[in-house]
Amino acid sequence: MKMMHLKKNDSKIASYYKMRKGKIVMKKRFLVLSMVFIILVSMLTGCGSQQSSQTPPAPTGGKTDGVGEFQSRNIKFLSIWPEDDKNANGWLISELSRQYGETVDAFNLEYEYVSIDQLDQKVKILISSDDLPEVCTYESGVRLKQVIEADKILNVDKTFSDLGIRDCLDEGAVSLLKNLVDGLGLYCVPLGMNMEGFWYNKALFAEAGVAKVPETWDEMLDACEKLKAKGIIPIVQGGSDNWPMTRVLNAYVVRSIGLDALQNAVTGKTHFSDPEYVAAAQMFQDMAKKGYFAEGMNTIDPGTATSMLMNGQAAMNYDGSWKSSNLNSEDNTAGPEGIGFFNVPVVNDSSTLRDYSMNCGNILMFSSKKYDEQVGEWMKFVFPMLGDFAIQETGSFKGFRITEMPEDTTYYTQLVADNLANAENAFLWFEAKMDSETSTLAQNLISLLYTGDISAEDYMRALEETAAKSR
Amino acid sequence: MDRVLSDKKAIILMVLPALIIFVSVVFIPVIWTFVYSFYSGMPGLKFQFTGFSNYINMWSNEQTMDAIKMNWKYILIVTPGQIGLGLLVSLMMYFSIKKYKTLCRTIVFIPTVLPTVAVAQMFAKMYEMVPNYGLINSLLNLVGLDQWIQPFLGQPNTAFAALCAMDVWTAIGFYTVIIYGALVDIPNELLEAARIDGASGVKLFTKIVLPMIRTIMITCLVFSFTGTIKLYESATALTKGGPGFATTSMTMNMYQNAFLYDEYGYASTVAILILIQCLLVTFLINMLSREKY
Repeated sequence: MKMMHLKKNDSKIASYYKMRKGKIVMKKRFLVLSMVFIILVSMLTGCGSQQSSQTPPAPTGGKTDGVGEFQSRNIKFLSIWPEDDKNANGWLISELSRQYGETVDAFNLEYEYVSIDQLDQKVKILISSDDLPEVCTYESGVRLKQVIEADKILNVDKTFSDLGIRDCLDEGAVSLLKNLVDGLGLYCVPLGMNMEGFWYNKALFAEAGVAKVPETWDEMLDACEKLKAKGIIPIVQGGSDNWPMTRVLNAYVVRSIGLDALQNAVTGKTHFSDPEYVAAAQMFQDMAKKGYFAEGMNTIDPGTATSMLMNGQAAMNYDGSWKSSNLNSEDNTAGPEGIGFFNVPVVNDSSTLRDYSMNCGNILMFSSKKYDEQVGEWMKFVFPMLGDFAIQETGSFKGFRITEMPEDTTYYTQLVADNLANAENAFLWFEAKMDSETSTLAQNLISLLYTGDISAEDYMRALEETAAKSR
Repeated sequence: MDRVLSDKKAIILMVLPALIIFVSVVFIPVIWTFVYSFYSGMPGLKFQFTGFSNYINMWSNEQTMDAIKMNWKYILIVTPGQIGLGLLVSLMMYFSIKKYKTLCRTIVFIPTVLPTVAVAQMFAKMYEMVPNYGLINSLLNLVGLDQWIQPFLGQPNTAFAALCAMDVWTAIGFYTVIIYGALVDIPNELLEAARIDGASGVKLFTKIVLPMIRTIMITCLVFSFTGTIKLYESATALTKGGPGFATTSMTMNMYQNAFLYDEYGYASTVAILILIQCLLVTFLINMLSREKY
C-alpha cells in the first residue's frame, strides 16, 4: 500500500516536473522569440526609409486621393546656395516656388543644401543609385555631358517646348550651353548669363596715373608697372580656389592664340605643349615674378579678393559679371561707381575686344525619372518669371528673357548689360572642355606655376600628357 | 535567465541580428571595394571590367605615388611628434608640475575636443599673409625678421610643415592624458627604489618608466598610426591638398579619383592599397607588443 502510494507520489512529482519543464521551455521560447522580435522590429525601424519622417505634413486643404489621405507634391531641390542668401540663385528659385505654392493646393519645395565641394560627389552617388532629385544644381560642360549620356536627365528643349515656355530662355545662353556639351542638345537651364573680364578700382588707377583703360596686354602690363611703383597691388585673384588663376592664364591663351585655342588643344588639333601655349604659361609666371599679382595670392579666397578690390587694397581682379551683386551691395566701399570693368586686353589680332569670355554659371538639371505633370506645372510658373525676378531682386542676369529692365538699374547692372550687348563672340573658360583629370591638374598645378615651383614647359607638358589619355 | 544564456541556440538567435549588421556594415563594403577594384569608370555612368589593370597602372600613376610618399612622410613626422610631445608633457606633469596637473591636463586637452574645421580655420588665420599678417607673420614682423615673412600655406614645403604642426598640436593633449594615466599607475615604491639605487633622469626614464608604460605606448602608436594614415579632414580644411598636390594624402587621392576623375574602380584599388598598409603595420605593431621585454 505504502509502495503504491509512493509510486503515485513519484508519478505526481514526475508529472509536476514535466509540467514545470514544459513551462520553462515555453518561457524560454517565449523569451527568445520576444527578444528576436524586438531586435528585428528595431532593425526594421532603424533601416526604414527616412521619407516618412522627412516628408512634411500636407498643407491643410490639400487634394485627397479618395481614401482620405493628402497627396502633396514634394519637389526636391539640391542646391549649392544657402536658402536665405538673397543674392544667390537658391533663394530666387525658393522664393518663386513659395509664390507658386500659394497658387496651388498642396505643394512643397524640399530644399537641400550641399556645399559646392561636395556637389559632384553627391550627384554622382545619386546617379549611381538612380535617385537624382527632381531639380538639381550642377556644372555645365564635360560633367553634364556624362549625365546626358547616362540618360538620367530631362531634355529641356523638348520639355519646355511641350510646356509652351521655351521662349523664356535667352538664345545666347542656350547656344553657350549646347556648345558646352558638344551639340548634344539642351539638357539644363542656365542660372547666369555671365561675361568675364577685369574689374578695376578707379581711384587706384587715378592714383597711379593710369589714365586709359588697357585695351592691349602691353598696356595692361604698363598699368601693372605703374601701380606697383606706387606700392599698389596690381592684380589680386582668389587663388586658393585655383580657377581664378587659370582664368588669367586662359585670358592670355585666347588672346594670343585665338578663340578656339582650348578646344583645339583638347581635341588634339593642337597641343598644350606647343610653344604658343607654353608662352602663355610663361607670361602668367613672369607676371607673378614681376610682382604684378598679390604676394601669397594662392592663399586668398575669392571673397577676400573681391573685398580687396572694393576696399582699395588691390587695383584689378579678373572675375565674372556675377560680381555685380557684390558691387551693388552696401559692402562695396568703393561706392556706387567706384569700380569699372574692361574686357580682356588683346595680344594680337586673333580676337577683338568684342569677343568676351562668357558662361552660364551653374545650371539646373531635372531628373527624367521623377518628372511628371506637377513638376511641369511648377516649371511653367517659375522659369518664365525668373529673368525679370532676378534682375529686379539681385540686379543679375540669369540667361532668361527679361521683359522689362527695372527703372532704378544700378551702374554695375547697367555696366554688365552694356557689355553683354556689346558681345559679338564668346569664348569659354580654361577647363570648360577638359576632362575631369586634366581640369583638376590644370587647377592644382597653376598654384605651383604661380609660386615658380614648376616651369611653364612642365605645366603645359603635364596638361598635354593627361589630356592625351582622353583623346 | 542563466538557463537562457546557457542555451547555444538562444545565444545564436540573439547574436545573429547584430552579427548580420556588423558583417554587412564592415565586411561587405570591403569585399565590394575589392570587387570594384577590378573595374574602371563610375557605377551608373561607365563601368567596365578591366581585370588587374588598376593594380598594374597604379605604380605608374604619379599622383598616387606622390600621395603615398607624402602620406608616409607625414606619418613619420606626425606620429613621433604626437606621441613624443604627449610623452614629454605627461612627464612634465607627473614629475615637475604635480601641483597644477589638473589645470594643465585640461588646458592641454582642449585642442583635442575642437572640431577639425575650426582648428584649420584658426591655423589658416595664424599662417595668413594677405590681406593682413596672421599671428606668425605679425610676430616675425615685430621682432624684425621681415625676410622670414611668407605665405606659409602657399608654398609646398611650408604648407606641409604647417599641416604637420597643426596636427601635432591638435593631438598632443590626447596622448598626454593617456600616457599620464599610465604614469600614475607606476608604483611609487619602484621609483623610490630606483632612485635609492642611484637611477635618475634619463636612466630612470629608460630603465623604469618606459618599460612600465610600454603597453600604453604601443596603444598610442596604433592610435596615432591609424589616425595619420587616414589623413583627410585636416588637410582638406587647411590646404585642400595644395599647393599643387603637396599635401594630398592617399585618402584624398582616393577621393579625387572616385569623385573628380570618375574612376571609382581605380579609387577602390587605392582603398585596397590603404587597407593593406594598415593591416601590415598593425601586424608589425602587434608583433612588437607580443615581444617579451
